[in-house]
Amino acid sequence: MKTSYGFDKIEQRITHDERMLFTLGSYIVVIIILINLSEFQSPMLGLPASTIYFLINGIFLGHAFFKKEDAFFRLIFGTLLLIMLLGFIGLLAIIIYNLDVTRFTLVLFITATLSSLINRRMKSKNAT
Amino acid sequence: MPHSKQQFTKLLRVGELLYLLLVGLSFSLLFLSRTDEAHTVWEVLNTAFIPTLFAATSLLLAILLASEKVNYKLLFIIVHSILMHSFFSVVFPAGDLSGQQMYLGRIRLVYDSVIFHGWPSNPLETVQSQIYAWFNGINFQAALSVVFARMFSMDFLAVHLFLVPVLWGIFTPIPAYLITYTFTQNEKAAVLASLLLSAFPYATYFGAISVPNSLGYIFFFYSLYFMLKNLDSNDSKTTFLILAFSFFSLLSHYLTGIMSFSLLFLALTFKSYKAEKSSPTTAKISLVTSFILSASLLPLSLIYLRFFRPVTQTVFTLDKFYELPPEEIVGLTLIGELTYAFDLKTILLIIIGPTLALLWMTYQLYRFKRNPTANHQTSLYFLFAAFLIMLIDYRILKLFMEGLPLNEERLWVFRDFIAAPFVALAVYSVVSSLRNFLRAKSPSTITVAGLKKSPKSIVLRGLSLLLALNILIPLLLGGWIIFSLSAAYPQVAPLQTTGYELEAVRYIEENTREKYVVIGDIWTIFAGEVIVGISNPRAYYFDEYNKTGHDLFVNMRQNPSPQWMLLAMNYTDTSVAFFIVTEPRLGAEEFNSVVSRGLQNEQLTVAGVFGAGKLYVFSYRKG
Repeated sequence: MKTSYGFDKIEQRITHDERMLFTLGSYIVVIIILINLSEFQSPMLGLPASTIYFLINGIFLGHAFFKKEDAFFRLIFGTLLLIMLLGFIGLLAIIIYNLDVTRFTLVLFITATLSSLINRRMKSKNAT
Repeated sequence: MPHSKQQFTKLLRVGELLYLLLVGLSFSLLFLSRTDEAHTVWEVLNTAFIPTLFAATSLLLAILLASEKVNYKLLFIIVHSILMHSFFSVVFPAGDLSGQQMYLGRIRLVYDSVIFHGWPSNPLETVQSQIYAWFNGINFQAALSVVFARMFSMDFLAVHLFLVPVLWGIFTPIPAYLITYTFTQNEKAAVLASLLLSAFPYATYFGAISVPNSLGYIFFFYSLYFMLKNLDSNDSKTTFLILAFSFFSLLSHYLTGIMSFSLLFLALTFKSYKAEKSSPTTAKISLVTSFILSASLLPLSLIYLRFFRPVTQTVFTLDKFYELPPEEIVGLTLIGELTYAFDLKTILLIIIGPTLALLWMTYQLYRFKRNPTANHQTSLYFLFAAFLIMLIDYRILKLFMEGLPLNEERLWVFRDFIAAPFVALAVYSVVSSLRNFLRAKSPSTITVAGLKKSPKSIVLRGLSLLLALNILIPLLLGGWIIFSLSAAYPQVAPLQTTGYELEAVRYIEENTREKYVVIGDIWTIFAGEVIVGISNPRAYYFDEYNKTGHDLFVNMRQNPSPQWMLLAMNYTDTSVAFFIVTEPRLGAEEFNSVVSRGLQNEQLTVAGVFGAGKLYVFSYRKG
């Protein structure tokens, strides 16, 4: 199928992120979300930016933990793990102080970094 | 590709397109049903909505039974599932009037950075209570709702209301599919299971309200799937995932967490039983022991919950056996809470799925007795044991315990999660039996020319079976799912938070610069917590159980005067007080009397009239 082939290609590119371009992309998306939140507050920008964030980091986590599964399930599982990670780091931020815009941005950065690191670690583990 | 297959694919694509149109129409009709004032969704649903949803569901079932890629089928089920769990969030302006509004009242304070270090805002007395409160589901849900609302830059109320319906819709069909597929390797039965989950009313209800318990159910379902997977594998990742999902299940709600860990304990014993070769007797004894321990974990945990939550005073008791008549005890044992005040249709809709699942499991176990080498025996035994634990625990909680911090019926959702795959298997076996019969009795390819040549009896039999397979079964199952919705979404309820109550609360919030307090009934408080949160020092609404707030409202109702408003301002350290009175809540006569007395009092100002005169806001300023 063309669609699945297309998605497989995207997934492969994201997970073989040797120069960490997609991690960087993820950071840029976080900055866009932050700018949107403080300047425009528009879902028209927030929704697509968040989708890209979920796609990149969901693929990282899905690939790290569910390499043997079908691409569809990898994406679903990866997204769920990402939501769990966001929730947990958000919870820690709430317990430590609160979840205002600054700490929310930090939560997104930390989650993106962790997802990328987990992907890299699992990739090197699988390679050895 | 053979011509007949090409024709079938074309027909399937047309069916899928039609399904998408129907589901789009259903969403539109649901949005058209949105109202400012209603008690139940049934009062206001567009008359075309249920027939359209029924047609869409039946068509989806026909697609599921046809040959199509699993991913597409699951995508359709996800869309359908989101639709079926969004009734409250779409139709009512503030969602269902239940725990979700109370949670929103607290979570809103986190969103607005009114409180620090999570809910509750004040530190608790003991260390263990504080740790329990920090890692309570409310703070976890707050984290999710706040993160999503900020990411999407969307209205916080909308994000909170749709959080669980969307997550439930996307994520619960997947474990239902995977659990069924794990022990059957049958894709069609597995996709059927993921849709039939919506035929279980309690599961549907919890998927429609945004409370931490619902989030916990989602994680529990995934932990169950990975437990099942772990029975046949030694992958360390699977073990990590079981622990991760069980942990998140506990983080969301203690009930789901405890159930995850009790089943984890059971799964580990099943795994060692499977591996045990030398001493089967010892293995069997350890299996029985772990079953008893797993079943006891929930009741015992609820007793010891007081260590973390001093308000919980759960005890074991035999009082119900002394107090209730024997027929009631029998009723409670057999069908639980359904023995009270429900009609036969609701009882049937709630018990039909689990009963069918129990019968099917028993039949499968009987077959295993005759064929001890059959595949996936351990998985089935494990699921059967887990199902029994749910049945036993429900009865223990219902009959032998008192002072529970939750209603025992929440266990039915776990039971339904385990039952759904077996119901799908039972249904699928009927479908495949019919199909085999059709193949045996009909010409291999039915063509018009072939039909003309065949004997009349064979043609009739073939056509009627074809009709049964592709039309009757989807219609029957579709009907079952739609009927289940009538038991999932309440038929009787108090008036939900109205549009004009929200409008009044918003108006006060947007037009008051000083710190203010609002005196109102419990319904006003619900509306207030949706917009500004509960006990917000800047915009104060008394919490639901606050006696002072209640007394102030009663006094204002009897004598609308600034005296009580001043008292409220002094109590909450605010400089403006509002008094809200609503006609449908008080009744026309009392409402008119309170309003006319309020209007006669020159010290009170009418801050606003909403809902075409159904709601009055009076205000009074200090000094």
